[in-house]
Amino acid sequence: MYKIYTMIHYCLNRRRSKPLAIRCIMLLITITLLLQAGANVIAQGITFSKKDATAEMIFDEIARQTGYRVLCQAAIMHSAGTHDVNFKQASVEEVLKTFFPDQQFSFVIKDKTIVIQKKAAPVKTAPVVYEEQTTIHVSGQVVTEAGNPVPGVSVSVKNTNRATTTDVEGRFSFSDIDEHAVLIISHVSYITRTVPVSPQPMTIVLTENQRGLGEVVVVGYGTQKRSDVSSAISTFKPNERNARPVLAPDQLIQGKMAGVMVASGSGNLGGANRVSIRGIGSLSASNEPLYVIDGVPVRPHNAAIFNFGENMNPLAELNPNDIESIDVLKDAASAAIYGSRATNGVILITTKSGKKGKSKLNVDLFSGMQQVPNLHKLKMADSKLYVDVINEAIDNYNLQYGYSPGTGNFIPYIQNPYPGLPDTDWLDLVLQKGRTVSANVSLSGGTDRSTYYISSSFLDQEGAVKTNRLKKYTGKINLTQQVFSWFKVGAATNMSYSRNNRVPGSNLGSTVLARGLEQRPFDRPYKPDGSYYVGGTSELLRNNSVQILNEQKTYLDNYRFLGNFFAEIDLAKGLSFKSSLGTDLIYTHDYVYYNEDHPYGTGKGRLIDNSRLNTNLIVENTLNYNKRFNELNLGALAGYSFQKMGTTTKLVDGSGFPSSSFDVNSVAATITDASTGLSENAMESYFSRVTLNYAGKYLLAVSMRADGSSRFSKQRRYGYFPSVSAGWELSKEQFWQAATTDLKLRVSYGKTGNQEGIGNYAYQALAGGGYNYNNKSGLAITGFGNDELTWESANQFNAGLDLGLFKGRINITADYFIKNTTNLLYEKPTAATTGFTSLTTNIGSMRNRGLELAVSTNYDLGQLSWSSSFNISFIRNKLTSLLGNEDLLIGANRVLRVGSEVGSFYIYKQVGIFQSDDEVPQPLYDAGIRAGDVKYEDLDNNGTIDINDRQIVGTSNPDFFGGWDNFFGYKNFDLNISVTYSSGAEIYAPWRINVSRLGGTYFPFLESEALNRWTGPGTSNTVPRAISGNTYNTYNSTRYLEDGSYIRLRNISLGYNFPKKLLYRLRLERLRIYAQADNLLLLTNYSGIDPEVNDNLDPKYLGDDNLVMPQLRTFNIGINLTF
Amino acid sequence: MLMAVLAGASCSKKLDIYPHSAAASENLSTKDVELFLTGVYNKVQNAPGRESYIMFDLIGGNLITARGTGGPIQLINSIMRPEQSMISASWNGYYNALYQVNILLSAATNMEESARKNEILGIAHFFRGYIYYNLVTRWGGVPVLEKNTVDNVARSTEAATWQFVESELQQAIELAPDYSDYYYVSKDAARALMARTKLAMGKKTEAAALAEQIITSNRFKLDAFEKIFRNQQNTEEIFAFKNLTAESSIAISTLFYTYAHPVKGSYAYAPAPDVMQMYENDDKRKAMSIDVYGSDNVINKYPSGQSGTDPIIITRLAEMYLISAEAKGLSGLSRLNELRAARGLTAVNPVNEADYLDAVLLERRRELLAEGFRWYDLVRLQKAVSVLGIREALQKLPIPESELVLNDLLEPNSGY
Repeated sequence: MYKIYTMIHYCLNRRRSKPLAIRCIMLLITITLLLQAGANVIAQGITFSKKDATAEMIFDEIARQTGYRVLCQAAIMHSAGTHDVNFKQASVEEVLKTFFPDQQFSFVIKDKTIVIQKKAAPVKTAPVVYEEQTTIHVSGQVVTEAGNPVPGVSVSVKNTNRATTTDVEGRFSFSDIDEHAVLIISHVSYITRTVPVSPQPMTIVLTENQRGLGEVVVVGYGTQKRSDVSSAISTFKPNERNARPVLAPDQLIQGKMAGVMVASGSGNLGGANRVSIRGIGSLSASNEPLYVIDGVPVRPHNAAIFNFGENMNPLAELNPNDIESIDVLKDAASAAIYGSRATNGVILITTKSGKKGKSKLNVDLFSGMQQVPNLHKLKMADSKLYVDVINEAIDNYNLQYGYSPGTGNFIPYIQNPYPGLPDTDWLDLVLQKGRTVSANVSLSGGTDRSTYYISSSFLDQEGAVKTNRLKKYTGKINLTQQVFSWFKVGAATNMSYSRNNRVPGSNLGSTVLARGLEQRPFDRPYKPDGSYYVGGTSELLRNNSVQILNEQKTYLDNYRFLGNFFAEIDLAKGLSFKSSLGTDLIYTHDYVYYNEDHPYGTGKGRLIDNSRLNTNLIVENTLNYNKRFNELNLGALAGYSFQKMGTTTKLVDGSGFPSSSFDVNSVAATITDASTGLSENAMESYFSRVTLNYAGKYLLAVSMRADGSSRFSKQRRYGYFPSVSAGWELSKEQFWQAATTDLKLRVSYGKTGNQEGIGNYAYQALAGGGYNYNNKSGLAITGFGNDELTWESANQFNAGLDLGLFKGRINITADYFIKNTTNLLYEKPTAATTGFTSLTTNIGSMRNRGLELAVSTNYDLGQLSWSSSFNISFIRNKLTSLLGNEDLLIGANRVLRVGSEVGSFYIYKQVGIFQSDDEVPQPLYDAGIRAGDVKYEDLDNNGTIDINDRQIVGTSNPDFFGGWDNFFGYKNFDLNISVTYSSGAEIYAPWRINVSRLGGTYFPFLESEALNRWTGPGTSNTVPRAISGNTYNTYNSTRYLEDGSYIRLRNISLGYNFPKKLLYRLRLERLRIYAQADNLLLLTNYSGIDPEVNDNLDPKYLGDDNLVMPQLRTFNIGINLTF
Repeated sequence: MLMAVLAGASCSKKLDIYPHSAAASENLSTKDVELFLTGVYNKVQNAPGRESYIMFDLIGGNLITARGTGGPIQLINSIMRPEQSMISASWNGYYNALYQVNILLSAATNMEESARKNEILGIAHFFRGYIYYNLVTRWGGVPVLEKNTVDNVARSTEAATWQFVESELQQAIELAPDYSDYYYVSKDAARALMARTKLAMGKKTEAAALAEQIITSNRFKLDAFEKIFRNQQNTEEIFAFKNLTAESSIAISTLFYTYAHPVKGSYAYAPAPDVMQMYENDDKRKAMSIDVYGSDNVINKYPSGQSGTDPIIITRLAEMYLISAEAKGLSGLSRLNELRAARGLTAVNPVNEADYLDAVLLERRRELLAEGFRWYDLVRLQKAVSVLGIREALQKLPIPESELVLNDLLEPNSGY
C-alpha cells in the first residue's frame, strides 16, 4: 500500500489570486493547519556515513535515529540507486533529497511516517505517452454521491491479481496496466462497480448500499455499526443529489423513511410541519418526536409568539446543509434510552464534522422562484352568475315566507354596483412569484489530532404572498482536538439569525388566500379617490387583502445558539468517560405593527411587541466500556443527565401612534396590555445500556432509563423505561446455503414515556395572580391540581427483518410493530358545574399497529447506474379505553371514541337533496326546510336533524403512505426523482362552507357549486338550492368531506458534473451544476389546491383545510463547487 | 462507582419547581381574602364571556348578523342550539365564576368576626345571586351549588332556583357595604337586582317598593346618555363592571362597529331594521344608541372600538323607573313619563293596562338596547313566541351538549 498526503492549499494559494473572501477563508485554514504543523517537524538530525548506500539503508537509519518510518513504493525505492553519503546532523529532508531529487519527488510527514511520492508527471508530456503505449498509468479517486472521498475501498484490475486499496483521500493508482483493463471497485457499504480504465484521472462515484452493513448509525449517546443494530432505526444522509432545498431538516425526510410521516402545514415561509413517527403517539397536543441535535434534546415549541394564524417551525432556524445524518429511532428499544420523551420517536440530527485529510472548501449556490400551483381549481362564479344566483336565493326566501316589498323581513334584490367594469382578480393582487437566493460555504478538514468543520450560509427567500420574506444567516463551527493520547475535547456549535416578514396564516381573520377568494367578484380594493374599500362593510364583505398587506409591518426575529461542548477521557483500555455541556438558547422578537389604516389598527395604530427567551441547559456524564472476549463483543454505557428549560416572555401591546413612522411602544398613547411570564421545568435522568455481539451473528441489547420530572408530584416523579432487543444474522450461519442472500432477523420490546402536552405545573392546584380589578391585584384559582398525574407510557413490540438479495442489489427491510400506550395524558373535559371544564389527567389507552416496508434496489448497467428506494407504511390507530368509556366530543367535527381512531370525523352524513316538499319530515318543514335543501341521514328517525344524528364518517389518518426515490447516473449526469404519496386520509374543507352557501350569506361561491345547484326535482342530488339566510345546508357534514389521497412529484433534479480534466485546469476539485423543481405535479381528487394541508397540527384535528396556503411549486438552478 | 458519586451529588430538590405567577392554593390564608375578593370581581366580570352580556339582544330580535342575508329569526335559530359554543361559553363561564365565589365565601367564613368580614360575605352573596339570576333566566332550573363539588349534580326546579337568587340577594342587602362607587357592589346594587328578581318572579309590589326605595334615596339621578355611555362620571349607574382593557376579555365594542368606522371593529352584529326605526326623532338616546356609518347600521353604546373595552353596566337608575312603572301598572305611568321626559320625549297616556304594558316594554327596549334585557322581557311576559316568531321551546336556552354528555343527571330543556 502506498500513502499520499499533500497539503494542496499551499499550492492553490500560490498559484492563483482569489477573491478576498476566499483568501480570508484560506488564511483561516492555513493558520489552523500551521498550528498543527508543529507536530510535523522532526527535531533530530541524522548522522550517517556510508559508501554505496541504498535507499533502504537510509530508511533504516532514519527509523533508528528518529523513530520515523518511511513509506514508499518498491519501484521508487529501487529507482533511487546507490550513493556515497556522509551526513552530520543533516535534516531528514536533506538526507532524502540525496536519493530522491525534489524536482521529481515530494515528502510528506504524517503519523510519524514519511511518505515519499513521485510528483505527478507534468500534463504536457502525458498524452504523448498514452498514445504510444498499450499500457497506461491509471489514477483516480473514489467518492460518495455527496462527493466525499471513500477510503479503504478495494480496487482491483479484472482478470489479474493486481489490487490496491484507496487511501484516506479515496485515491488509488496503478502503473503500467492494459489500456482496455476494467477496474472492480468494491466496498462493504457500497454497491460494487466495474469501470473501464481511462488515462485521465478517474472519479468513481459509489452509491451507498442501502442495507449499508458497514454504515455507522447514530444511536442514543453513541454510534453503532448498522450490522450490530437489532432495533428499528431509519437513517437519511442528505447530500446534494438526494436533498431538496428546504428550510428545515424535518422536510428533508419527507417520504424517505417507512413509518415516518411529515405532513406539511402551510406554504408560507417557515410554517410548521407535523412529523409523526409510527402514527399518533398521544392525545395531548404536543405529539412531536423528540429532536436531539448534536446531543442536545431541544424543546418542541412554536417559533413565533403572537398568533398570526399559523405556527412556525423552530427547526427552520437551522441550516440543513450542515446535516451529516438524520437518524430516526422508531421502536421502543432504540428510543427507550431517551425514556420519558421518546414515545413519539426520537430524531437524532448530527451535523457534519471535519475528516482527516485534505482541507476542503465547498460552495453551494442556488437561485430560484416559487409560486402557488393549481390556482385554477378555485374558480369562483363571475359577477353575472353571482348576481343571478343571489337574487334567486332572495326570491326563494321571500316566496317561501311570503314576504312582500315593504314588510320588515323582505329582502330586496342586489345588483352589480359597477356594471360594465371587469371583475377583480383578488388573488392576482396579492400573490407573486417569490424569488430565492441561497449561498452556503463550508470548510472542513483535519489531522490525526484535530478536525474542523466551519460553515456559513445565507438565504433570502420571498413567499408566494406579497411582503412574505425570510432571511436567514447561519454559522457553524465543529471542532475536535485530541489534546493528549488519553484526552479529547470538542465542540459543536450552531448560530443562526432569521427574520421572517410574516403574512397572516389561515387561522387569522386577515388571512390572505381565503379573504381574497371570499370577495364578491365585482368588488375592488380601491375607491375612485384612491382610498381603500374597507372589509367587513356592505361595500366590501371581507378584509381587503391589499390593505392588510400594505398597512402592516411584521417581523419575527429568531436568534439561536445551539451548542454542545465535551471532554472525553480514556480511563483504561476500552473504558472512557465523557462529560458534556449543551445549550440551546433562543431569543425571539415577534413584532406586529398595524398602522392607523389597517383594519386591526384601532384607527390609531397598534403595536403588539412580543419577546421571549427560551433557555435550555443540559449536563451529561457518560461512562463507556468496550471489550472483546474472543468472539464476544461487549459494549456498556452508563450515564447521568440533568436538563433544565426555562421561558421568559414579555408583551407590550400599545395603541395610538402619532403617525405610522412611529413604531415603538415608547411613543404609544395607550399601553393596553403589558405582561411578562416566567416558567421552567427540569428533568434528571439516569440511563444505561449493554450491547452484546457474539461472532457477529447473535446480537443482544438491553437499556434502561430513569427520568424524574418537575412536572409531576413528588410521589409520582420518577418513571422507568426499560428495553431489550435481539438480532440474528442467519446468513452467517454454517447452514446458510444462499450465498447471494443476506438475512437478519430482529425483535425488540420496550417502554417509553411522554410528558409533553401538559403544563409545567399541572399537578399543582394554583391560585394564579393577574386576576385584577380596577387596578388592584387579585388572585383566582386557575385549575384543579392532580397529585395522581403520572407518566404516559407506551409498550412497544417490534419484529423486523433485513433481507439482501442478489449480492445486495435488492434490499428489503420490513418491520411490524404493536404499540400500546397507557395513561394517556389529556385535558379531560369535566362538567362545568365543577368550576372548570377540564382536568389534566391520565385518561385512557390506545394502540397503534403497523407494517413498514422499505425496498431499495441498485443496478449498475455499465454507463448507467440506477438506484431506487421505495417505502410504504400501513399504520392503524385505535383508542382502547377512555375514562368512563364515554365519547368525548372535541373540536367542531371530531370525537374520541373507544374502538375508533383518533382523528375520526364526527359529522352529519348527507344522503342527498330533498327533491320535493313531501319528502321533508314535518319538524324540518316547520323549521323552514324545503325541497332543494340538504337531506341528512336521520339516525334516530325522529324526523329532525339534531346532535344525535352525527356519526363517524372517516378519519384524517391515511390507510397507507410513503415515498419512492429514484436516482440515475449516466456519465457525468445525475437525475433524481422523488415521489411521495398517501392514500385513504379524508380532508374536511371548512373553506368550502364559506364559498358554497348560495345565498346563505352574500359571500360569493364557487362556479361549480352555482352551476350544479338544485333548481327543481331531479336537477341535483348533491348541491342544494339557493336560499337566503339558510344555515342548515352548511352544517358540518359529509358535504365537505373529501378523499385526500394523492401522489406528488415531490422533487426532480438534474445535475451535471464537469469532467476532471476541465476542473484540473480550473484548479477545482469538483464542479456540478443542477436544476431542480419541487412539487411539480400533484395527482389528487381533492377539489382544493392541495390535500396535504393542515390548519391545526394537533393529530386529533389533522386534515382540516381552511384554505391554508398550499405547498408552493419551486424551481431552482444551482452550482456546487469544491476547491 | 463514579455514577454513584454523581448520583449522590445530584439532588432531587432540583426538581421541585414552582410557578412564579401563582401559589399553591392550599396555602391561601385569611389575609389573602381581600386579594381573592378582587379576583372574584375579575372572574365574575370575565368568565361568562362577552356574548353573555348581549345574549338577550342577540336572541331577542334586537340584533341581526351584520352583512348577513337573514333577519333576527335566522340569528336566533343559529344560536339556540345545544352545540352552539356561545351557549356553552355562558354556562361554563357562570359556573367558573361561581366556583371562585364559593371559595371566597368559605374563605371569608373562616375570617375573624369583623365589619369587613360581613361586607365581604355580602359581596359574595350578591355575586352568587347575580350569577344564579343569569342562569335561571336562561335555562330555568339549574344545579344549585352552595359549595363547590366535583360530583354531578341534578337540576333544581326553576322555582327553587329563583328562591335561591332571592335569598342570596337578601343576604347581600343585609351585609354588603353601603353605596360609594358604582364600580363596586353595594346594598343598593343588591336592592336593584332584587327589584329585577321580584319583577321576574311576579312579586310586583315588592319589586316596585325596592325600585322606589332606590329612586327616592337621592343617591342616584337620571343622567345623560353622553355620560353613561361615554365612560364619564354620572349619577345614574348603580353597579357596573369597570372592565378595564388590561383586566378584561369582554370586548363588546368590536362586535358592533365596522373596520371602516373610525374606532374600527369586526362588525359581527347589526341592529335589526325595526330597531333603526324605534326611536322618535327627539329622543336624546338615539344618537348614543344607534348610528349609520357609510351604509352600515351600527349599535353605538360601546364606543371603545376594536382593541378597547367599555364599562359594563349591570344596573342603573332608569331600570328602576321602568321596574316601578311596570310593577305598579297604570298607576306607575308617572314614573314612565318622568323617564321619557328625561330622555327628551313628551308624555304618553295609554288607555288600558295592555297598551300601558306595551308602552313600558317599548320604553325598556329603547332604554336598555344592547344591555341584555330584551329576550327575557318577552319571555317573562309570555310575548316571545308571538313577537319573535320563535318555537315554544326557544323560551329557554338549550342545556349545552357538552354538559349533557358529562353529567348524566342533567335533563335537557324540552324541545331540544
